[in-house]
Amino acid sequence: MSSRTANPVVRSAAWRISLWPTLAFACGTLLVFLFLHRFVASDIQRRSDAWLAGEVEVLGDVAEHTPKNALYDRVVGEVAELAGKEVPNRFMSDSRSNDSVFFLQTGADGSLRLWVGAGDSAPYLQAIQQGHILPDHPTDVHVPGYGVPFRVASMRIEDGSLIYLGLSERDQLRVLRHLRYRFILLWLLLVLLGFLIVFYTTRRMLSHVRQITEAASRIGHSDLDARVPTSDRNDEVGHLARTLNRMLDRIQSSVHQLHTITDSLAHDLRSPLTAIRGKLEMSLSAATHGEQAEPIVAAIEELDRLTEFLNTSLDVAEARADALRLSRSELDLDELLRAMIDLYEPSMFERGLRVQLHSTGTLRIRADEALIHRMVANLFDNEMKHLPASCTVTVSLRTANDEAVLTVEDDGPGFAPEVREHLFERRVKGRESSGHGLGLAFVDAVVRAHGGTVSATNRENGGARIELTLPLSTPSSEAAAQEPALARVRHNGA
Amino acid sequence: MRLLLVEDEHDIQAFLRHSLAEAGYQVDVAADGKTAEKLALEATYDILVVDLGLPDQDGISLILRLRQIGVSAPVLILSARRSVDDRVRGLEQGGDDYLTKPFALAELLARLRNLLKRNTPASAEATRLRVLDLELDLLRREARRSGQLLQLTPQEFVLLEYLVRNAGRVVTRSMILDKVWGMRIQPDTNVVDVHIYRLRGKVDGKSQQPLIRTLRGVGYVLKDR
Repeated sequence: MSSRTANPVVRSAAWRISLWPTLAFACGTLLVFLFLHRFVASDIQRRSDAWLAGEVEVLGDVAEHTPKNALYDRVVGEVAELAGKEVPNRFMSDSRSNDSVFFLQTGADGSLRLWVGAGDSAPYLQAIQQGHILPDHPTDVHVPGYGVPFRVASMRIEDGSLIYLGLSERDQLRVLRHLRYRFILLWLLLVLLGFLIVFYTTRRMLSHVRQITEAASRIGHSDLDARVPTSDRNDEVGHLARTLNRMLDRIQSSVHQLHTITDSLAHDLRSPLTAIRGKLEMSLSAATHGEQAEPIVAAIEELDRLTEFLNTSLDVAEARADALRLSRSELDLDELLRAMIDLYEPSMFERGLRVQLHSTGTLRIRADEALIHRMVANLFDNEMKHLPASCTVTVSLRTANDEAVLTVEDDGPGFAPEVREHLFERRVKGRESSGHGLGLAFVDAVVRAHGGTVSATNRENGGARIELTLPLSTPSSEAAAQEPALARVRHNGA
Repeated sequence: MRLLLVEDEHDIQAFLRHSLAEAGYQVDVAADGKTAEKLALEATYDILVVDLGLPDQDGISLILRLRQIGVSAPVLILSARRSVDDRVRGLEQGGDDYLTKPFALAELLARLRNLLKRNTPASAEATRLRVLDLELDLLRREARRSGQLLQLTPQEFVLLEYLVRNAGRVVTRSMILDKVWGMRIQPDTNVVDVHIYRLRGKVDGKSQQPLIRTLRGVGYVLKDR
């Protein structure tokens, strides 16, 4: 849960999933645009070059055929000005005078003969003379004082003079600039929109997956009646949900079957046990001599042990199958341990054992109180049965990593090597043990059913040590435990 | 006290009928739900003992039916099932009780007494209990034997109080663990016995007439005569 706190959107899978397609989409559209831009630019240039070539030819013609008299300048000048008004890609210019086109004629010696254009001719002439302008091939010329270059076409006429027609590339560049601005705006919008669409669809789909995950993890803790939410869609997510639900059906049915088997086994054994016990008690009350009573008492005690063994066996079997039914409540482990030590201390004392508790105080867990009682009783019984006199049992309770850690250790002989590896298995007991060998298997079963862990080791300086952890009670686990699911399953099982 | 026993297993029925009669109940027996219903309509019972697994119907359905036809007597449910059914829990909250098989007779009798006591209006809570020459002051948590103050730990006082409240009746180890320590456990060591020995040492001393008796295989009884 804590991983979601930093930045939920950036950390979500939806973010990562939608980022890559968006990047690919952005790069792709950008490439397409670059290609288009080149195409448009070269097309515009081709058109202006064609216009320049045509006009320069016309002007050359006019310049050639116009008699070189006083009117020559005016005639050629007016023709040039007229041509300037038909410029392609023309935008409205701020200034009145037409500064996007110029006409220039030089003599064979390179001196200026005629100038039609805005401003002084000198920088133009200088620029043209510096640039190598081939006839019939328009070339870019940078005129000082102008930010944008001119496209200049030239032509040599018969009298050896050269005429130049220049067209500013300003309008052409402006067209391209507009194109770029609009594209970038549109492109940003498209990329953003695309990202949002992908992000929200992915998020919706993944939220469905998250619901499934949440439901599945809830189900993991005994709520076997619940099912993950399914949708009508026939896609992968819907399929996942349905597959999970089918799996849950099967699990529920096996758990149900296990409960039915253990319940009926318990029932079939308990009825005769009840009858036998009743008869024994009746004969006990009729027996007057101690000698007569003795075997009856032994039989009753034996029978009670058998009953307890039956109960424990079935609990262990169910816990092994993750099907132990818990009725959890909030309890203080510290208080519970103190009460149990109060109960056990006198008998331990009788056997020459000492018991001490190290606890850091109140420690709340949500657990099945009866099972925890039986579990601790098993641990203590185990100590009492195996420890020689004048040993000390130390019970410690602390918290570590959001878990309650309960340690029961002694300074006795420790676990025998032949049983150490299999301590928590059923029916494993030391050679001298008088128990039925279920004690630690039961401890293990209870701890696991509560979501904890248990380990048994021999201490370095001698003695046995059993350490078990149980999850602490938290507000969220309290909420999760509200589910009366156990009951629902049990109904079917009973 | 009229008691209706609904139990189909013949062996259990026989020993229950005998033991309950011996304990002073007037026992009628029904082997199935139908008979039980008929009997309950004909006579008024003070208490019912109903087994959950009946041949013709579920014990809980029977109890609900009986409640419908106006039987208000408390019910002690006997169950051979492993876990306590939710519906049984519901009934338990409604004032009835349950006992899992197999059980000690003493426990059955104690639960029947409890149910009957609940059914009658409670008398003002006594602050002093007295059995023979043993006297308990419940407010000051003090116990005296023949006027002599006994040095008891708080836990020992609770244990003694439980025995005194059940004076003359047998209490089992499980009952003591349940009522005095609040634990439903079956230790396979003699934890309860040691507490009783200690208590006996303080209450009975050496020269006096012993009050706390051990009934081997059954439990303990505090003599009231």
